[in-house]
Amino acid sequence: MSERGRPNKKTKHDDQKMKKIQNEEALYSDDDTGDHDGIYFEGEGGAVEETDFSKLELKADHANRPLWACGGGRIFLETFSPLYKQASDFLIAIAEPVCRPESMHEYNLTPHSLYAAVSVGLETEAIISVLNKLSKTKLPEDMISFIYASTANYGKVKLVLKKNRYFIESPFPEVLKKLLQDGVINGARFSSEPYCGADGFTVGKTSGELEAGHGELLNEAESAAAAEEKETHSFEIDPAQVENVKQRCLSKDLNYPMLEEYDFRNDNVNPDLDMELKPHAQPRPYQEKSLSKMFGNGRARSGIIVLPCGAGKSLVGVSAAARIKKSCLCLATNAVSVDQWAFQFKLWSTIRDDQICRFTSDSKEAFRGNAVVVVTTYNMIAFGGKRSEESEKIIEEIRNREWGLLLMDEVHVVPANMFRKVISITKSHCKLGLTATLVREDEKITDLNFLIGPKLYEANWLDLVRGGFIANVQCAEVWCPMTKEFFAKYLQKDNSKKKQALYVMNPNKFRACEFLIRFHEEQRGDKIIVFADNLFALTEYAMKLRKPMFYGATSHVERTKILEAFKTSKNLNTIFLSKVGDNSIDIPEANVIIQISSHAGSRRQEAQRLGRILRAKGKLEDRMAGGKEEYNAFFYSLVSTDTQEMYYSTKRQQFLIDQGYSFKVITSLPPPDAGSSLSYSTQQEQLSLLTKVLNAGDDLVGLEQLEEDTDGMALQNDRRSKRSMSAMSGADGNVYKEYNSGRHKSSAQQSKKPKHPIFKTRFVS
Amino acid sequence: MPQVKIIAKSFMDMVASLTAIKLDKLYNNVFICEAILRSLPPLAKKYVLQLLYIDIPVPATMMEEWVLADGVSKHRVAIDRLIQLRIFSETKDRKKQTCYSLNPTFQKNLQKHVISGGVLPREPMNANNANNAIKLPSLQELETYALQQWECFLLQLINSGQAEKLTGISSSMLKVFQRGLLSQRDRDGPRLTESGFQFLLMDTNAQLWYIIREYILNAEERDVDPADLISFLLELSFHVTGEAYNLNTLTDVQRNTLKDLADLGLVKLQQGRKDSWFIPTKLATNLSVSLADSSVRKEGYVMMETNFRMYAYSTSKLQCEILRLFSRIEYQLPNLIACAITKESLYNAFDNGITSDQIITFLQQNSHPRCASRVPSIPENVTDQIRLWESDLKRIEMTQAHFYDEFPSKDVFEAACDFAREWGGLLWEDSKRMRLVVKSEIHNQMREFLHTQSK
Repeated sequence: MSERGRPNKKTKHDDQKMKKIQNEEALYSDDDTGDHDGIYFEGEGGAVEETDFSKLELKADHANRPLWACGGGRIFLETFSPLYKQASDFLIAIAEPVCRPESMHEYNLTPHSLYAAVSVGLETEAIISVLNKLSKTKLPEDMISFIYASTANYGKVKLVLKKNRYFIESPFPEVLKKLLQDGVINGARFSSEPYCGADGFTVGKTSGELEAGHGELLNEAESAAAAEEKETHSFEIDPAQVENVKQRCLSKDLNYPMLEEYDFRNDNVNPDLDMELKPHAQPRPYQEKSLSKMFGNGRARSGIIVLPCGAGKSLVGVSAAARIKKSCLCLATNAVSVDQWAFQFKLWSTIRDDQICRFTSDSKEAFRGNAVVVVTTYNMIAFGGKRSEESEKIIEEIRNREWGLLLMDEVHVVPANMFRKVISITKSHCKLGLTATLVREDEKITDLNFLIGPKLYEANWLDLVRGGFIANVQCAEVWCPMTKEFFAKYLQKDNSKKKQALYVMNPNKFRACEFLIRFHEEQRGDKIIVFADNLFALTEYAMKLRKPMFYGATSHVERTKILEAFKTSKNLNTIFLSKVGDNSIDIPEANVIIQISSHAGSRRQEAQRLGRILRAKGKLEDRMAGGKEEYNAFFYSLVSTDTQEMYYSTKRQQFLIDQGYSFKVITSLPPPDAGSSLSYSTQQEQLSLLTKVLNAGDDLVGLEQLEEDTDGMALQNDRRSKRSMSAMSGADGNVYKEYNSGRHKSSAQQSKKPKHPIFKTRFVS
Repeated sequence: MPQVKIIAKSFMDMVASLTAIKLDKLYNNVFICEAILRSLPPLAKKYVLQLLYIDIPVPATMMEEWVLADGVSKHRVAIDRLIQLRIFSETKDRKKQTCYSLNPTFQKNLQKHVISGGVLPREPMNANNANNAIKLPSLQELETYALQQWECFLLQLINSGQAEKLTGISSSMLKVFQRGLLSQRDRDGPRLTESGFQFLLMDTNAQLWYIIREYILNAEERDVDPADLISFLLELSFHVTGEAYNLNTLTDVQRNTLKDLADLGLVKLQQGRKDSWFIPTKLATNLSVSLADSSVRKEGYVMMETNFRMYAYSTSKLQCEILRLFSRIEYQLPNLIACAITKESLYNAFDNGITSDQIITFLQQNSHPRCASRVPSIPENVTDQIRLWESDLKRIEMTQAHFYDEFPSKDVFEAACDFAREWGGLLWEDSKRMRLVVKSEIHNQMREFLHTQSK
């Protein structure tokens, strides 16, 4: 790295810039009830700043270049530029996408995003020269110095796991010395190293980078990164301190973020796992691209790959495991998805049944052989209490093994401390995190950067929709006015604990929900999932409409049964789920979601729920832009007007809106002529519902309290058990026959380009 | 499309509103006659040319025979216009039939024009004159100059404080122009009114008409004869764009007027060693073109995204100010303005009397060619939301009212309710506790009524 990277006198301006960027970082995730909306656009102190960059110098041929880069790190990209594809590939590698709608995308350069860029092999000079090539304006000085400042130290230090011991490795002994001046790092060092160089460092050799290619744009940059053998210096650290050391290195004082790479081809210590991808497993272009980011230099990098739900994350995971061909520990959030992952491994790869084992509270398959794939849950690993002898043995085995790949699903939901625990227990050469929504409402998102690694790839949702890889979803926000009586009670102070129950049980909302279910079942023959976070509402709705439901306390067996019936039965087209259904439960048949209550302002939940119906259905050519069906999936969010829900709703949609989705507001549901065919059509019925809500205990009407993994063995006993509920709601299978469908499937297909009648233009303009 | 309330149709409306004497005086100027002829509706033009060499009155019935049945309404419009402008005069012949004849001055001048052809009001100066090394700007330069001048004026007009340099328009003159466009509020300083917003949304020619009209209407206050002014402005439109004309061919009044026009960008003033001259810009020569012809669509520059972000390809400070009226400007780049439509920015706009329809129309009319081709050009969720936010504000209606209670008896209360109902002023009643609310308008009647009741 050049001398410019470390200016002798760091200007005050740079410091401020850094500070600003860091503040923006801190704002990246919001909490559930926080008041800052539009967080992306807030500058320091929360005030909206207007930034004038009109003095930047336009290049003469600016029309041919695709982007504007301004100081402060904001980048604007024209999507209709002929260079769009190359430019967006490049930007996604170096910057954080802020929003990506149709015509103009916005990105932010942050220290983390630049760290990610360096870790996939881009060098400072290359970043600047390509950015300059693509930019319509001359690059602002402060942006150039920011890139220098942020990348100067990146990529100099690596964390290497050799023979079950952790080493910090660098070609620059002076850097290691600097690191060792830090108390934390020095404390973590094992002093009893047997063979020492002059500085007490172990000296070894490692091969240089061989970059796979970043498109023509980078050609010249890459030739600079020619391979040459380098001498490296290293020292060993305490495995228990690895994470502290990593965080310390990332901190502002040191700022030497460590790269984690795994040279799996030259790993002779760990036994190989005999698995290949089956021929029919053809990764799609974006899956290929994300893998190439991970294996860019022939080694495996740790990091996170962000793909929308339904875009085939599991194939990426399986492919990664098949490429490394070492033991793989795959972590999922619950037992249902453990089953699904095990299934995916068998589906896509040639792995033998005896090489893969599931480890959950219900199924403890002991593993045989030297190299295996183990699929389990985060909870099983992190569980701190007393285990059965059987699982203690398995855990011990997991703890002692050196894993080639730690494959982590849904990394956005796992609490940071659980991550810490999991990562400290398991020793892995390479960590791959998978997620659809890299937003967390609990400010912990930046933790992932040092716990797992930088974000390696993030797909653009709209591009995948256009390519027909995921479903084209019509999103709608349905406004349900509160009935007079419910609203009066809602406004009363002493009902503050019941506020949520009141707006969720709003009869108008119920009627809208009933109407939508009926419409989609009968007119289109769709499969519908109704989400309700509020357990009281969930049971009321499900029972009244006589549909099966499941929630946290529903047993694994029963869940599987309901899901199976939903997948196969023509008579069961609607299920009610609590938030247990938010993540990772794969229900590819569903194409309609109705959300009647939700977890406050959680953007992630909204995106995850949408993800349940993103898996593309039908023929590819119908799904592509301009295909037969304009929309093939529907996402309804029902909100009671004039209540808190409206406020939350706006917040929740932010993530999806930034991905280019738009929510259509529907104000006239159910249609007036639906009248008495729906429930609660008389004031009498509505009032008795109101009484029911008011009389229910406060604990009943609240949110479902749910541990992330409901399969955790310790939880079994604590749960409220209401076994009869599912039976009453029809899960046992006889009562929902009156909503017989089957014949409407054909009628739905007859109409050309079906346009949903309730989406007709409301305003004649 | 919403009705644009400002009428800025053309000069001719203003000419038509002049008194008979002044009109007749105007027709002494051959250019006015030509300009008027140009401005007429096609059928009226035809009638004038048809009667140009006829010296006797033509019966109305005969003219009516010239048109087909479905052209009657156009015929009516044409005749009305001609009479309004006193080009036609109505007479009765011996059989008491209505006849029309051409205004003799107008007729004579036009006949002259037909024979001798168009003559320029004054000769352009010789560019190679030894005394004046005239360096004429290119047409391109001139147009840029004119638009810059105009934009600068507009920025000053809407009081944005963004104008880089001030025009020489006197503040009193500016006040005149701002009348109706800006409202003076005590605390907040001047703000754009609804018509002010509409004004900004009009194209340049329409805006020019509006300003010129105000300028003419205000002429008498400046001791300038409006007819003279009109005649001069029309004359100006017959000059050749980009040529230099000597200032010494003008009267003092005209010279003063010219200074104002230079500030608006209609002419460029230059000074040589000995002489001074003016160069008319396109804005000036377009003056006599009627509005309908001049509204050539400019290319749009706004891209509206589904996430309520708006990107405007523009370098214009004025356009930035216009966007600021209803959106939050976030980034200004050399040729792009990035902004966002938010609830707050819209509430601000609504508060200023701008309507959702106006905003949406503006977005539609100015949408970037890339977006203009798709249907709808503005994402539906955005237009819906803008309207919903507006209708949200309209859910509560304020009515001035008075509250009555402590009625002496049920009867008096009932009577009072009936009385209020009769007057259409009863807003709310609570018969149990004998309280009622009535509109303020009937407060006096109500008081009197209760007074009589209590006796």
